[in-house]
Amino acid sequence: MNFRKTAVYAALALFLFYAVLIFSLLTFFEGRSFLEVLLAPDTLFSIRLSLLAATIAMLLAVAIGLPAAYALSRASFRGKKLVDTFLELPMIMSPIALGAALLIFFNTPVGTTIQEKGVYFVFEFPGIVLAQFATIAGLATRLMKTALDEISPRYEAVARSLGSSAWGAFWRITFPLAFRGMVSAMVLCWAKAVGEFGATVTLAGTMSFKTETMPIAIFMALASADIRKTIILILILAGIGLSALYAVRFVEKRPQIL
Amino acid sequence: MIEVRGLNLFLGDFRVENLNLTLQEGVYNVLLGPTGSGKTLILESVIGLRNFQSGKIIIGGEEIQNFPPERRGISYLPQDLALFPHLTVRENLLYGLRAQKKSPRENENHLSSLIDTLKIGHLLDRYPQGLSGGEKQRVALGRALAPSPQLLLLDEPLAALDPALKNEIQQLLISLHRSLKFTALHVTHDLDEAYLLGDLITVLIGGKVEQRGKREEVFLRPQTVKVAQFLGLRNLFRERVLKVEEEGKSITVSFWGREITLPSHHAAKPLSPGDDVILYLRPEEVMIVREGKPIKESLRQNILAGVVARIMDRGTYQWVLFQLFEQNLHLEIHLPNYVFRNFSLKEGQEIRVAMRRESFWVIPLGEKGGER
Repeated sequence: MNFRKTAVYAALALFLFYAVLIFSLLTFFEGRSFLEVLLAPDTLFSIRLSLLAATIAMLLAVAIGLPAAYALSRASFRGKKLVDTFLELPMIMSPIALGAALLIFFNTPVGTTIQEKGVYFVFEFPGIVLAQFATIAGLATRLMKTALDEISPRYEAVARSLGSSAWGAFWRITFPLAFRGMVSAMVLCWAKAVGEFGATVTLAGTMSFKTETMPIAIFMALASADIRKTIILILILAGIGLSALYAVRFVEKRPQIL
Repeated sequence: MIEVRGLNLFLGDFRVENLNLTLQEGVYNVLLGPTGSGKTLILESVIGLRNFQSGKIIIGGEEIQNFPPERRGISYLPQDLALFPHLTVRENLLYGLRAQKKSPRENENHLSSLIDTLKIGHLLDRYPQGLSGGEKQRVALGRALAPSPQLLLLDEPLAALDPALKNEIQQLLISLHRSLKFTALHVTHDLDEAYLLGDLITVLIGGKVEQRGKREEVFLRPQTVKVAQFLGLRNLFRERVLKVEEEGKSITVSFWGREITLPSHHAAKPLSPGDDVILYLRPEEVMIVREGKPIKESLRQNILAGVVARIMDRGTYQWVLFQLFEQNLHLEIHLPNYVFRNFSLKEGQEIRVAMRRESFWVIPLGEKGGER
């Protein structure tokens, strides 16, 4: 067996591993109850809540992550390596630990003041957004930095010499060239936020019709031994995530010329 | 006029100290230097992409060192051209005009003559990816020149081209410069490119301007040993000034145990007896004496006898190594092919060579005398 074939078999084996996991759910799947569970008010609420929170968290992560990614990609500054390392914190830290850290933070004098004089996060909707943001911001920055790293800084240098401001050169040259990478980063982070559980459950709790996102709804259904609902919710969540990730592949395949 | 005055730039251990550069308007200037001499750092400082410790950059009497790149009026052409891949050729060409809020209509004549000169009219709706190497070069030149910059900076734009395309673009740059008379600063380490394109050449070595002048001055009359070595000059002999005429019109220099008297303007700077110097004899100026034929009076004092130690065919000329009889002293001679054929030279053949005084050039050694 040659090297290329072995590699292809490895890829297929991985696909099969995940496919078997998904298809095994169908063992206990009852088609008639799918619509019933899907259209149930608590399910629809969970879906809406998950999509809304993930979208806000993703937009916040991009709003802060994009300039941060630009700085890490283009600028040299003191402490750059330290900042770069900290971006990976959510990737190496368990989500529950991250959520616990957030919860503890809001019990410090600073955190208490923020909650009292600003926005309530603990066991509230903003808490879901914050937990998801904490999980994906580092990843979003890292992915966007990678997208920017692929664009030669000389494009911007030339654009600026031709009369564009720094912002103009970024907006008219670098951003369109890095667009596909940016969209991929956004969708991946959004999908990760939709599926985020650990940090969210720790900070925002499991309150029905308040902080019950899709992953929390799955957890609650499983905890109450409602296997039928658990499976349907898993399939819905997997469907949303896989659709988004599959769409990214199409964005990546778009021709270079936008 | 564009001036760089007292530029000090430190980057790690590398230093550019008190660099001065004057670029006359409408002149094609070449900044020539080996890799690592600081050419690109200086260029980036002039464009505004790199901060430097101190110094002034003056364009048309205005100090611009604190201006951002977009306000300097300097177009930049990097080695990889950096054509914007998501824009058509037309959009690439118009980028500068639009960014500077200049109306393409008002600049229509300039644009259309540029497009005609560059022969890129048929490419306007295409994207850079589909263009050949030469077409990309033309479009990049057009984009840089479209906003009529006060200075065009070219950073080794021909370095990665094959010989045929390089020749084509060199000819294009020459004709474009003749017709548009733009001011250019072309950075390169390529000697042929510098000689062909540069009206004025500045030689930069180790962050220091070693010489500046017209191409002939730089290539035929190097002012320092560093320049001579960078130019790859052959026949550099360490000798000493023996005599300087009282009126200073001529100097006498030792040469292989003999003496040779040269006009004093054949030295890079005024010299005194006892000064250590490098005597440079241009290989293409050494003549082979045709035995049996009368020799000019002016050549008779400078005739050496020896053997042909080695011959190499260099394609466009023949490289002949002349060895002085029974001594380990060698002279390189570059002979045109037709001259070589007339003499039918062979290795080991005894010959005499003659040198005109005008073919020598005297380069002073540094104070330490060890700059060779």
